[in-house]
Amino acid sequence: MPAESLFSIRDFSVEYHTRGGDVRAVDDVSFEIRRGEILGLVGESACGKSTLGKGLMRLHRVPARITGGELLFDGRDLMTLDEDEMRMVRGGEIGMVFQDPMTSLNPVQRIIEHLTETILSHESKTTEEEAKKRAGELAEKLGIRAERLKEYPHQMSGGMRQRVMISLALALRAKLVIADEPTTSLDVIVEAKFLDLLRELRQEFGLTILLITHNIGVVAEVADRVAVMYAARMVEIGDVRSIFADPKHPYTRGLLRSVPNIQLNDAELYKMEGAPPSLLHPPTGCRFHPRCPSVMPICGEVNPPMGTVGKDQQAACWLYLEHPQKAEVKHD
Amino acid sequence: MSSTEEKTPNSKSESWKIDLQQAGFVRRLFQARKWYGADWWFVAISTAMVMGFIFVALFPGMLAPYNFDQIVGTSFLAPGEYPDLPVLITRSDSTIKTLRDLAGPDNTEPSKVGVIQGSPSAVAVNEQSQQVDAQLVSENSGLRLRPRLQRFVTAKELLDAVNSGQVPVGVTNLSEFNLLAADYPNLHSGSSITSETATAGGFALGTNDVGQDVFSRLIWGTRVAIIVGFSSSIISLLLGLPLGLLAGYFGGTFDRLLSLVMDSLYAFPGLILAIAITAVLGPSIYNVIVAIAVLYIPTYYRIVRGQTLQVKEEVYIEAARSIGAKRSEILWKYIYPNVIPSIAIIFSVNVADAILTGAGLSFLGLGMPPTIADWGIDLARGQRFIQSAWWLITFPGIAIMVVVLAFTMMGEGLMEIFNPKLRER
Repeated sequence: MPAESLFSIRDFSVEYHTRGGDVRAVDDVSFEIRRGEILGLVGESACGKSTLGKGLMRLHRVPARITGGELLFDGRDLMTLDEDEMRMVRGGEIGMVFQDPMTSLNPVQRIIEHLTETILSHESKTTEEEAKKRAGELAEKLGIRAERLKEYPHQMSGGMRQRVMISLALALRAKLVIADEPTTSLDVIVEAKFLDLLRELRQEFGLTILLITHNIGVVAEVADRVAVMYAARMVEIGDVRSIFADPKHPYTRGLLRSVPNIQLNDAELYKMEGAPPSLLHPPTGCRFHPRCPSVMPICGEVNPPMGTVGKDQQAACWLYLEHPQKAEVKHD
Repeated sequence: MSSTEEKTPNSKSESWKIDLQQAGFVRRLFQARKWYGADWWFVAISTAMVMGFIFVALFPGMLAPYNFDQIVGTSFLAPGEYPDLPVLITRSDSTIKTLRDLAGPDNTEPSKVGVIQGSPSAVAVNEQSQQVDAQLVSENSGLRLRPRLQRFVTAKELLDAVNSGQVPVGVTNLSEFNLLAADYPNLHSGSSITSETATAGGFALGTNDVGQDVFSRLIWGTRVAIIVGFSSSIISLLLGLPLGLLAGYFGGTFDRLLSLVMDSLYAFPGLILAIAITAVLGPSIYNVIVAIAVLYIPTYYRIVRGQTLQVKEEVYIEAARSIGAKRSEILWKYIYPNVIPSIAIIFSVNVADAILTGAGLSFLGLGMPPTIADWGIDLARGQRFIQSAWWLITFPGIAIMVVVLAFTMMGEGLMEIFNPKLRER
C-alpha cells in the first residue's frame, strides 16, 4: 500500500563537538517514516542510531548540535520551531521510550504523578481529576493495574516500567513513538510481551513507531520496514521481507549473516572483517569500503547516494549505481 | 501477595511477618533497626539527644532553677558545696524561723541577737534588719524590727549563750556553725538571713565568679546554641540550595562566576572569616547568625551543585524532556527532590559545626554580648579561674561537646542509611 509519509527527514546531520575535533554522528541522513508503520532502525553500537533518534526530537544537548537538514513532521518543519513550540511537540506528538527502564523514571515520583503531570503540562485546561481519570484508563489499556499506579518506580519490574514509559508517550496521543532500544535490558519473555504490546498499540491507536535497536531478531519480529545505519550514514532501507530475503548492501548482508542461529554450527557464523571506523576520521567515499568484500576502486573516492535497488528497497552502494567514474576507474 | 491481602492487613500475623508496605510510618521506622543495625541505633540515640536539647532550648525557664543573670549565692561555690551564708542559730524548740519573727510592737524592748564581733554576719544582720524594718513600716503593721546586737568574741561563746538562753537567737556563718555543731545537739541552723534562694543542698554544678548558678546558665545557654545552630544553617541552606541548583542546572558563565565566589569563600579558614564578619558587625546574636550563615553557604552550594550536575545526566531527566516537561518543572520536580536527601544529612552536621563556631566566636569575645547566657562566654569567663574553679569551664565544655556530638552522629548515621555512596567521596 502506498502509505502516506508522516515524518520526512532530509539531509539531517548531527555533530558532536569534542576535543579531538567535530564528530559527525549523523551524516546527511534522509529517509521517511510512513504513517502507521513500525520502522526498525538497526546498526552496530556507536553508528549514530540513538543520536539520530534524539535528534529527531531535537533532544540533543551540548556538545551535540544539529548542523543541517529538514525535519518535516506532519507538514511542519520541526527545525523552524522555537523551543516552546518544540516542547509541545515532544510528548504531545512525538513520544520517546528509552533504553533502560530502570533509570528512565523519576525515582521520587509516583507512577500516577508521571502520567498526570505529562497531561497537565501540555493541556493547561485539563483539571487534575480529568488527567487522573485519563491516566487510569490508559494504564489499564496497557495492562497496568490501577492500584499499581500509586507505586514508585523502584517497586516495579523492568517490563512494567517500560509499559509506563509507553503510556507516558501515549498519554497525549502522540502520533510517533521513538523507541530507543526499548527491549535491550529486558529478558526474552518480557521482550516478547513488550513487542506484542507495541503491535497492539499500533492497531489500537494508529501509532507510528521508530524502533531503534541492534537486535536484528526484534526487527524481524515486529518491523514493517528496516533502515540500516553504518558509521553515521544510512546504507539501506526497505521492506523488512525484501531486505531479509535479499539484502543488497554488502554491510547489510554481513550484518544478517552474523546473527547467531541455532541451525548454524560455529564455523558458519560470519564475522565481518575489520572494525567500524572512527567517526573522527571517517574513510573517504563509501564508509564501508575498507571492510567491504566486493570493494571497487570508486568506493574509496565517491560517496554513493541512495538508489532504488528493488521494490520498496533502497541502498547506497556503487554495485547498483551508475557513475561516469565507475567504468573509468575500473579500466585503470 | 494478592490484592485482597493488601486491602485487609491481617492483624493476627506475627511481628516478623509484618509487611512493611502496610505498616504505619512509625512502625516502619522501628522495624528498620533490623537491617540498619548499628547505624539505626546511632541515629535513634543521637536523635533522642537532639530532641532533648531542643526541648531544653524551648523551655529553659522550666528546667533551670534560677535565671541566668541572677546572683544566687556566694561566688566560686564548688558543685554541691554549701553556700557559706549567715544563718540564724536557734534552739531546736524555738519558734523563730526568720529575722522577721523577732519583730515586736514599737514600744517593747527590742529582742537581742547574738553575733561575733567584727564578722561579716554582724554587718549582714544590721543590713537585713533595716530592710525588714523598712518593709514593716511601709506595711503599717505596727511592728518594728530593731534588734539589739550582743557581741561575742568567739563562735563558741555565741553558741553557749544561745544554748543557755541568754540570747534567743544568734547569727553566724554556716561554716562556723558546722564546725561546732556536734557539741550543741540542741542547736539548729535555720535559713539564711541574706538570701532566700540559697538552698541547703548547694548548687549542683557550683557557682561562677559573680555567684550565678552554673547549671542555670548551662540550661539557658542551650537556647542560644540551638538558635544560632539552626538559624544560621537554615539561612545558608536557603541561599546555598537555590544557588547550587541554578548553577548546576544552567551552567555556563553564571555557574563559573558563582563557583568562583563560593570557592573563594570556601578557601578562607572558617573561624577567621566569621571573626572578620563579627568584628565588623559587632557582638550580637543576629550578627553571629549572619556571620556563620555566610560561612556555610559554600558548603551547601558545592554539594547541591555537584548533585545537580550528576542528576541532570540521569536518563529520567532526558525522559522528562522527551515528554515536553518545562525547564522549571524539571528543576523543581525532577532534580530538586533527588538532591534533597543529601542536603538533609549535611544540614545536621552543619548545625553541629555552626554551634561550635558560634561558641568559638563568643569565647573570643566577638560573639554574644556578655548579657546573654552562652556557653562560649562562660568558657571565656571561666578560663581565668581554671586553676581554682574547674567547674566553670568543664560543664560548658562538656555541653558543647555533647551537642556537637549528637548532631554529628545523627548526620553521619543518616548518611550511612540513606546515602552510603556519599561517604566514599
